[in-house]
Amino acid sequence: MTIAVLKTKAETSLVQQFEANAAKLPGGATVLAARKAAFGAFVARGLPHRRIEEWKYTDLRGLLKDPISVAIHDDANVSLKDVDTALGPLASLAADRIVFVNGSYRAELSPIAKAKGLDVTALSAGWSRLLDPAAVAASGSALDDDAVVALNMAFVTDGATIRIAPNTELARPLLVVQLSVGREGKLASTRNLITVGAGAAVTIIEVFAAIGSAPAHANAVTDLVTGDRARVVHHKVSVTPSAAHLATSVVRLGAGTSYRAFQLTTASAVARNQVFLTFAGEHAKIDVSGLMLGRGRDHIDTTLLIDHAVPHCESRELFRTVLDDNARAVFQGKVIVRPNAQKTDGKQMANALMLSENAEFDSKPELEIYADDVVCGHGATCTELSADLLFYMRSRGIPIDQARAMLIESFAGEALDRVEDEAIRATFGEITSAWLAAAPKS
Amino acid sequence: MLEIKNLHAKIAADGTEILKGITLTVPKGEVHAIMGPNGSGKSTLAYVLAGRSDYEVTDGDILWNGESILEMAPDERAAKGVFLAFQYPMEIPGVATMTFLRTSVNATRKKRGHKEMTTPEFLKFVRAKAAELGVKEEMLKRPLNVGFSGGEKKRMEVLQMALLEPTLCVLDETDSGLDIDAIRIVSEGTNALRGPDKAMLVITHYQRLLNYITPDKVHVLAHGRIQKTGGKELALELEKSGYAEFKGKAA
Repeated sequence: MTIAVLKTKAETSLVQQFEANAAKLPGGATVLAARKAAFGAFVARGLPHRRIEEWKYTDLRGLLKDPISVAIHDDANVSLKDVDTALGPLASLAADRIVFVNGSYRAELSPIAKAKGLDVTALSAGWSRLLDPAAVAASGSALDDDAVVALNMAFVTDGATIRIAPNTELARPLLVVQLSVGREGKLASTRNLITVGAGAAVTIIEVFAAIGSAPAHANAVTDLVTGDRARVVHHKVSVTPSAAHLATSVVRLGAGTSYRAFQLTTASAVARNQVFLTFAGEHAKIDVSGLMLGRGRDHIDTTLLIDHAVPHCESRELFRTVLDDNARAVFQGKVIVRPNAQKTDGKQMANALMLSENAEFDSKPELEIYADDVVCGHGATCTELSADLLFYMRSRGIPIDQARAMLIESFAGEALDRVEDEAIRATFGEITSAWLAAAPKS
Repeated sequence: MLEIKNLHAKIAADGTEILKGITLTVPKGEVHAIMGPNGSGKSTLAYVLAGRSDYEVTDGDILWNGESILEMAPDERAAKGVFLAFQYPMEIPGVATMTFLRTSVNATRKKRGHKEMTTPEFLKFVRAKAAELGVKEEMLKRPLNVGFSGGEKKRMEVLQMALLEPTLCVLDETDSGLDIDAIRIVSEGTNALRGPDKAMLVITHYQRLLNYITPDKVHVLAHGRIQKTGGKELALELEKSGYAEFKGKAA
């Protein structure tokens, strides 16, 4: 029997707030029961710590020491212009938006052009969907053990429910925007439920940003379920300053589906990006890639679990990391190939570029292969800027700072190349360049 | 005028002395060849001229147009007109050739007090020079030197030399790894850059490059020192006799 002793200030504050606010949280009696069950599961475990294998390198209990203030309901005054400013380069994308401020849906900030086959609503407009197994990829999965997901369920205030009818092709990307505002730095708990019908095509970008320099804490869970032959682009961008950013994607793909995800994470005090992906039908292809940019004392973790449950699927992962100062990044990439998943083709690569001797990169690829006719590989590198290349560039008249910036951008650029859409890639590139340019001059 | 005076240099990491007192003068308008056996210090001299920090100059000086360049960073030297064509040009994955060239040209122009080129101006400029050197449009679109053949890399070096309009050109074994056709193209490109205000130092192991780029003087470098200086006929003598005469003669 294991009993986790709740002792940190953060954990105590969560218990107090759940007791005080559970009845006020939206969703009615059925959802409340689910909240209570989830919170019970969370209390039994506490915040994940380093003795839990999956959290070995990201000791959330140690990293989140201070009391956490949970967002319940928020009606802070936010204008469309504020949203544009917070979105930065992403504001220029011709896209629909559904916007949440500190975890609460804001209809007046969410212009969505009517499109046939697209149904976007707030979770708060229909809580029953949260308990619908057809829409919830996480139900019945290994995530029952995940304390962060349990915590999300306990406190969830809203989220986007997106349904794409079969054979619908949506031209405009849809931004799901989570904004933080205010000085308190409340933890916003949101849950997105995305179902993509057979043969449908959609691009969804989850964006986490802050208005001003508000400390932004988020615990977001997204369930994405597709029918067969769907084409889904599902990016995530987190540019929140000094934040605790916890983001979990749970993805279940139908046969013949193409799923491409890119996760860009900058400027997070603590970030944990989790992707749990299951191939539920044959001949599906995925590319889950990303870029982690850390400096100061940033801690950025990306943890993947790719489950080849069926034969004939292809998975590609490329994660690049740039670390300066005392920043630390973690990449955990687990690929399971089930006994019957023959003809699986999986490749994984993690590369880190270290700009400081004090930075740390922990890479843990894990291939669990139970089938015998598969092609699977992984690689990891950890390098510093090449002195030879810098000399070559300088000998061509390029000053050292500019040469360094070019080499870092090119390193990051090879990950960004995984983003197929040119306009989207350009905005991600701008965010990356802005992060690089913000470096204190050496 | 390039004046190298009693130049001593060692490898910074382990202190091995490579250059042991080189004295050499290349007046403007002249092309000098440096020949020598492997390990004689030829490439080290090239790197030291360009300012590579792996080498430490322990004595002597390098003057370009009367000004010491020893304390200058590599990019400052480039702005002063120094250009090194690398024996092994570097590949830079992720940096498009065109981006690299424009950054390089504009950074140099800026330091020289010239107006930076706009994108259309630059495109026109680079396309004209590229056509002269047989550098295909397609190469300019690829990441710098990535997937280029040996000959293509050397042509790219000469293209950069043409674009940066240097006044002191140092060619480090530009002929190595090239077939005769490639040597001819690279040499023609280099010859086109000769001029009354330019000095060139051509470093080579073999004489054959000098069939195409005719030197005013030939220096033999061995054991970190100039052992012999002569006219272009010295290269032909070396081709016959080899470097045996110099190999045994320790400093």
